[in-house]
Amino acid sequence: MIPEGSLLAAHDLRKTYGSTPALDGASFSVHPGEVVAVMGPSGSGKSTLLHCLAGIITPDSGTITYAGRELSAMSDAERSALRRSDFGFVFQFGQLVPELTCVENVALPLRLNGVKRKAAERTALEWMERLEVDDLGPQRPGEVSGGQGQRVAVARALAASPKVIFADEPTGALDSLNGERVMELLTEAARSANVAVVLVTHEARVAAYSDRDVTVRDGRARDLEHAV
Amino acid sequence: MTLLDSRTAPPAAPESPKPPARGAAVLRDLGLGVRFAAAGGREGWIRTLLTAVGVGLGVALLLLASSVPHLLDERNAREQARSETQISDSPDTNAPKSDSSVLRINTTTEYHDRTVAGYLMRPDGSTPVLPPGVTGFPGADEMVVSPALRQLLAEPGNELLRERLPYGITGTIGDAGLRSPGELLYYAGSDTLTPAKGGHRIDGYGDSREGDPLPPLLIVLTVLVCVVLLVPVAIFIATAVRFGGDRRDRRLAALRLVGADIRTTRRIAAGEAMFGALLGLLIGLVFFLVGRLFVGSVEIWDVSAFPADLVPDPRLALLIVVAVPLTAVLVTLVAMRSVVIEPLGVVRRGRERGRRLWWRLLMPLAGLAVFGFTGRISAYEYAPEKPFGIAAGTVLVLVGLALLLPWLVEACVNRLRGGPVPWQLATRRLQLSSGAASRAVSGVTVAVAGAIALQMMFAAMNADFNRMTGQDPTRAQFAGYSEDVTGEAATSAIERFRATKGVDVVIGSVEAYASKPGDYADEDVQPTTSLTVGTCATLRELARIDACEDGDTFVVHPPGDKDMTAWVDETARKGKVVEIGSGGKPMRWTLPADSPTVQGRKDPMGETHYGIMATTGAVDAGKLPGATISVQIRVDRSVPDVAEYVRNTAAKVDPGMRFVTLDSVERDRQYASIQTGLQVGATAVLLLIAASMLVSQLEQLRERRRLLSVLVAFGTRRSTLGWSVLWQTAVPVVLGLAVAVAGGLGLGAALAWLIEKQVADWWLFWPMVGAGGALIALVTLLSLPPLWRLMRPEGLRTE
Repeated sequence: MIPEGSLLAAHDLRKTYGSTPALDGASFSVHPGEVVAVMGPSGSGKSTLLHCLAGIITPDSGTITYAGRELSAMSDAERSALRRSDFGFVFQFGQLVPELTCVENVALPLRLNGVKRKAAERTALEWMERLEVDDLGPQRPGEVSGGQGQRVAVARALAASPKVIFADEPTGALDSLNGERVMELLTEAARSANVAVVLVTHEARVAAYSDRDVTVRDGRARDLEHAV
Repeated sequence: MTLLDSRTAPPAAPESPKPPARGAAVLRDLGLGVRFAAAGGREGWIRTLLTAVGVGLGVALLLLASSVPHLLDERNAREQARSETQISDSPDTNAPKSDSSVLRINTTTEYHDRTVAGYLMRPDGSTPVLPPGVTGFPGADEMVVSPALRQLLAEPGNELLRERLPYGITGTIGDAGLRSPGELLYYAGSDTLTPAKGGHRIDGYGDSREGDPLPPLLIVLTVLVCVVLLVPVAIFIATAVRFGGDRRDRRLAALRLVGADIRTTRRIAAGEAMFGALLGLLIGLVFFLVGRLFVGSVEIWDVSAFPADLVPDPRLALLIVVAVPLTAVLVTLVAMRSVVIEPLGVVRRGRERGRRLWWRLLMPLAGLAVFGFTGRISAYEYAPEKPFGIAAGTVLVLVGLALLLPWLVEACVNRLRGGPVPWQLATRRLQLSSGAASRAVSGVTVAVAGAIALQMMFAAMNADFNRMTGQDPTRAQFAGYSEDVTGEAATSAIERFRATKGVDVVIGSVEAYASKPGDYADEDVQPTTSLTVGTCATLRELARIDACEDGDTFVVHPPGDKDMTAWVDETARKGKVVEIGSGGKPMRWTLPADSPTVQGRKDPMGETHYGIMATTGAVDAGKLPGATISVQIRVDRSVPDVAEYVRNTAAKVDPGMRFVTLDSVERDRQYASIQTGLQVGATAVLLLIAASMLVSQLEQLRERRRLLSVLVAFGTRRSTLGWSVLWQTAVPVVLGLAVAVAGGLGLGAALAWLIEKQVADWWLFWPMVGAGGALIALVTLLSLPPLWRLMRPEGLRTE
């Protein structure tokens, strides 16, 4: 049921909001260092699938296995700890803490993991340098452009050396030039660090940066290469 | 004619409507603002409701405050109506006996620290006068009671009170006869009360004499209590009208995009604020009216009120109705001065510049200048205008403190660096919007500063209004006194007190007059002193007696009083006869020649005893005519309800017995009631401020719903965010309290100087600091459930 060598795999996930089904038997898997695009029209259940995979919400039924561990068997605290240590996130908007500076934002996951402030900010600056936003360190999110903010968010997602990055429409609020630059930097950095990326998008242009596409329609995921 | 020819000319482009006249434009914009507030969807409604509820709470408190004059007038009127009609300047003068006259004795008692007022009454004729609120005169061993006393007597666990008031209840005292709904009052009937037993004859109710005017210092205190309690309410209202300001600014930016100019946006904002304030007025009125219904059943620190007494003063009510919407509009317009609303967004200005200190200092300095101009006021000076000068100065200082706070908060939080994640999140948040934080706590600052200053005033005035009684509660905690009883009754009463549960020591003596026998002309004064009969243990409490055996007698001199010593010796001649008792036939008794002379000492009541003292074996107390009984009782405090047992014994011995609890300090009643008023008001204001802070906190959290969900997504612990909320509340409150303590102590010292007093206690601020701490804890605790709810992943959903 779990594809061999997969880092994160889900099988037959079902989730409803009230009477509306969001996932209806979706399955999915991603290997270490692999970039998988989850595509589909609005309301098809892509974001719900991502939230379930990341342990942010729990599915009504089905199994999710991460590195051999069953996510649904974990407590909320254990799943939170897993997200702190092994997962990184990039969202479409509203993800940077407005009152923290950019470098403090990038350092935040490290600090939540107990890393001392100075060490955390040193690592944060290194990642910001790779994402070409190191000059934004002392500025607040409100003072930088959308593209720059998204790159700061990518740096934050990578800062704690995660195994998987979940990116939910990471370029949705950007123009095409900025969007492509963000995708280039995200996928390059992820591949070089052997980090898997689950990329939710409805744009084929963005999905083109992935190794593989999974389409979600009516709550079901269709993986053409890895039928699970 | 072709078809083409038949075509009519295309219609002319519609003419652009002419811009409305200026007045109409103002009305249109205000109306638009009202529409935004009233029909802005769910978010808009929530914002308007938050503002309206906030303003409503403030308005309800203001209406309550404006009802206080009427409340006090009504209470005083009812109290005067039930006071006996004075027939002369001397309150002891008895009315002549008539068909309507009544003998009565005050039998007021205390039960579990509450006063149970009461009278025992005996009619002289068939049409006795009735106190207000009473429809029928209670028969012997019957009583009419207030509703609160009826309820108290009916409650289980009050057997001791039922035992003390063993009368059958035959009626209820109406509201006209009560000061407040919570008052415990009864009128009991008697067929044995006589003037000799302490009965006082009255022939009517209603005392038209004016009560004593408040002394100048108490006027200052009253005015200050009002100022201290109402300034935070005004600040609270000003804060409430800014709820949801960020969202409103964003909406106005969208309007700028479609062509609204800055003036238009301001007018729209004014319209929104006005609507919120007007709705707040309405909600405040509803809160007030609903609260008024329940006010009769609420009692705080023995203070309760009849709903009918809570009628706002019309002038004050009008002031509230006009001032609240006006304040809302002004505050909104002033707040918008620090914001530039551009078509593409909202820019806050002023951060680069930072807040300036100099103009913020002007107001407190102006307050101090007003104090200097008003001048000092002494306890005995009649200067009716001075309290208001002092009040004006106090308002300026307190509002000045509220103005200083934003500068201080900004200056302090900008220096905060590092720390753990929750601390960092909180301090960075405060750095970004220190104004909102200061606004939220400015009410606390003013309330606490004012309360500290007032407490210092109270402490400084203590000596004027608290009298040292000279009583020694370590030697005895209760004292009772009955007159004109038989010696036999007196001795048995003392034994009954000794047998009462929880009583350790009874200093019980039977006293009578002892006179030098002989015939005296009318203009001569018969040498007379007192004869005190008791056990050796009792006599030792009243005089410095070393050796004492039953059967001994003593001549007791008052220490340090030569004249009185001579007067005692004139009567108490050793080996000679004295006549004992007043009125009727005196008893003759010979003072033993070997009676030693000793010095008197103060009893626990603080009174010095002298004259003749005899042990019970020397004089048969049971046979003394016209005796009085004096008991001073020491009890074992560890026995539950010991005070009630002792009071019950006193009521059984003599319902009219003057029975008091000994206390080394006696407080002036007016002074005490002002202090109670401060406590009641400060509690209400602090609760109001807690509500305001909570609303601000919730509003901030709601605005950050998505961010909170994102933080949770990457694994932020609940405790991390919980602590950040705590710090976010605590930092400004601590700074606010620091300003309040410094400002309150300064103001208190200035006020003490103004009333020519010394600061008695510089450490009075601790309880207020404690209250501030409780406020932080309360707001944080109440913020946590919504915080947990907002941290759910639903916030991440965008579809």
